Amino acid sequence: MSPSISDERLLDLYRVMIRIRTFENGVRRLISEGRCGHVSFSTGGEAVAAGVSAHLTADDQIGSTHRPLGHLVAKGVDLSRMMAEIMAKSTGTNRGKGGPYHIFDKSVGALGANGIVGGSVPMCAGYALANQLRGNGSVAVSYFGEGASNQGGVQETLNLAACWRLPVVFVCENSSPEVQRMLGHEIDYPQLSVDNVGDRGATYGMPGSTHDGWDVEGVYAAVGEAVQRARGGGGPSLLEFKIHRLGADEDSRYCPVKCFRDRLMEKGVLTEKLEAEIRGEEAAKVKEAIDFAVGSPEPEPLDAYEGIFVEDD
Amino acid sequence: MRGRVITYAEAINEALRAEMSRDPEVILFGENVSSSWRPSTKGLKELFGRERVRDAPITETAFIGAGVGAAVVGMKPVVELMLVGFGLVAMDQILNQMAKTTYMTGGEVNVPMVLRAIYGAGGGNAATHSESLYGVYAHMPGMKVAVPSNPYDAKGLLITAIRDPNPVVFFEHRLLGRMEGEVPEEPYTVPFGVANLVREGADVTVVAVGKMVQEAAKAADTLKGEVSVEVMDPRTLVPLDEEAVLRSVQKTGRLVAVDEDYERCGFTSEVAAVVAEKGFRSLKAPVARVANPNTPIPFNRSLERHVLPDADKIVRAIRNVVK
Repeated sequence: MSPSISDERLLDLYRVMIRIRTFENGVRRLISEGRCGHVSFSTGGEAVAAGVSAHLTADDQIGSTHRPLGHLVAKGVDLSRMMAEIMAKSTGTNRGKGGPYHIFDKSVGALGANGIVGGSVPMCAGYALANQLRGNGSVAVSYFGEGASNQGGVQETLNLAACWRLPVVFVCENSSPEVQRMLGHEIDYPQLSVDNVGDRGATYGMPGSTHDGWDVEGVYAAVGEAVQRARGGGGPSLLEFKIHRLGADEDSRYCPVKCFRDRLMEKGVLTEKLEAEIRGEEAAKVKEAIDFAVGSPEPEPLDAYEGIFVEDD
Repeated sequence: MRGRVITYAEAINEALRAEMSRDPEVILFGENVSSSWRPSTKGLKELFGRERVRDAPITETAFIGAGVGAAVVGMKPVVELMLVGFGLVAMDQILNQMAKTTYMTGGEVNVPMVLRAIYGAGGGNAATHSESLYGVYAHMPGMKVAVPSNPYDAKGLLITAIRDPNPVVFFEHRLLGRMEGEVPEEPYTVPFGVANLVREGADVTVVAVGKMVQEAAKAADTLKGEVSVEVMDPRTLVPLDEEAVLRSVQKTGRLVAVDEDYERCGFTSEVAAVVAEKGFRSLKAPVARVANPNTPIPFNRSLERHVLPDADKIVRAIRNVVK
């Protein structure tokens, strides 16, 4: 692992992971109460979201997927406006026009969730192109899943990014590391022609590697290298993180929160008291977000016709 | 005094040159945009460098999507589709991401991007290399659609497109590239949504776009002394200058809509619908349409001529409605 991570940084990572978990569980509660519609959760992927965004500033961009909440929370999207968007309120990040699969918040570089599998990936090349042309040293991170990794647009973008040496890091969260070849389980045929999406990096002319996505310190180290490479003009990288999609409070040895908690306790960085403090503080933030969203007004009916085009300056 | 005459392709080139000089955030990419044999982009790489004028691999989804992304973060990408039909492999990026991101984000971001699409039949290039398809793009809310019919409009509309904060699909007919016309040297804009009155007439209104504007004008000239034909070029399909069309039909009482795109659910249907809904009482005769009769465009030149609108077919349609 990476011995260079300070205790403070470790606790920051842990706090972000708790925030994601707490936020998503808050959304689950709203769904169970019939107060918002369908949401695809990212539970099990907290270490990837936290480990990636720890290397990014608000000037760096991310493009996300239809399981975006972890990525968005970690990137610093305002929890209240995000919760309001999930509840389709007028105060939402997208004024209730996009929903959870399309949350954008440009103030923190969250550009953004995308409901089309692989849809945000070519756009991330555009963020990176703008960074390159402006010479601002910013990087784009493109999240997608193993299913999207097969999409033509994703593979085209890997090639384009390498041809143009763009400052972008491709982050593939592979959430079916075991089942992809299992007959009669999810699908009868493998959905990937290779065991590791990371292996495909070499064929597109960029470094590719595969890591355990439930180990936040491993994620942090791998992403740090790729982001540094991109910032320094070294071009794109492809990182694959194997993860396991988990239920709300599923006990699993692949639970990134549990793995990290145990490790921090073992290291003496985290204590029961500190743990309770962090969880309490994050729960309060999520409660505040829910209160804001619940108390926010619905859009006006005629808002439906607004914003198809923006006005000329 | 006659002004300076240049070609349609040179007019496009001048618009790009002017806007790239004016605004460093205007960038150009696509397939072969650095080529010296393509008059609409010739010389731009030498002027602005290979970073801003950039050849892309043949991957329309990736480079159109990169245009959307660059626009989302505030650049002004002009992305070239070597042929409009090649955009069919990139429909998600065009019809979802480019068109709808502004609305879906509630205005959190916008997409100031121009997709230049070369289009058009008449060259014997068979069905996938001859289509117009502007109807497909105009159908999707969120994109503006410009179809310049002459060099003057090509330059002015492209400058307007580049300065527009919304996504614009800009259609350039492959056979209009060498068309000559008077074009001022200095930059100027032609506003969107303002139709051009090409010929003034009293008996029938012909609404035509793109290359068909020439054919409609020829038809009007052929009928001189027989029928007084008004030819209207809307210049942009989105926004559409409905008022100009309705005003003209109010005067003439007759409408012929002309377009080389497919007839079904196409631009001619739209114009006919607008007049039927809002100008029905002006009509003295049923509306006529001259468009591709829902047939893939054949390779053989004489078969191709069969399915495409031209001045003769427009003349026949006009004679029919004034009968």
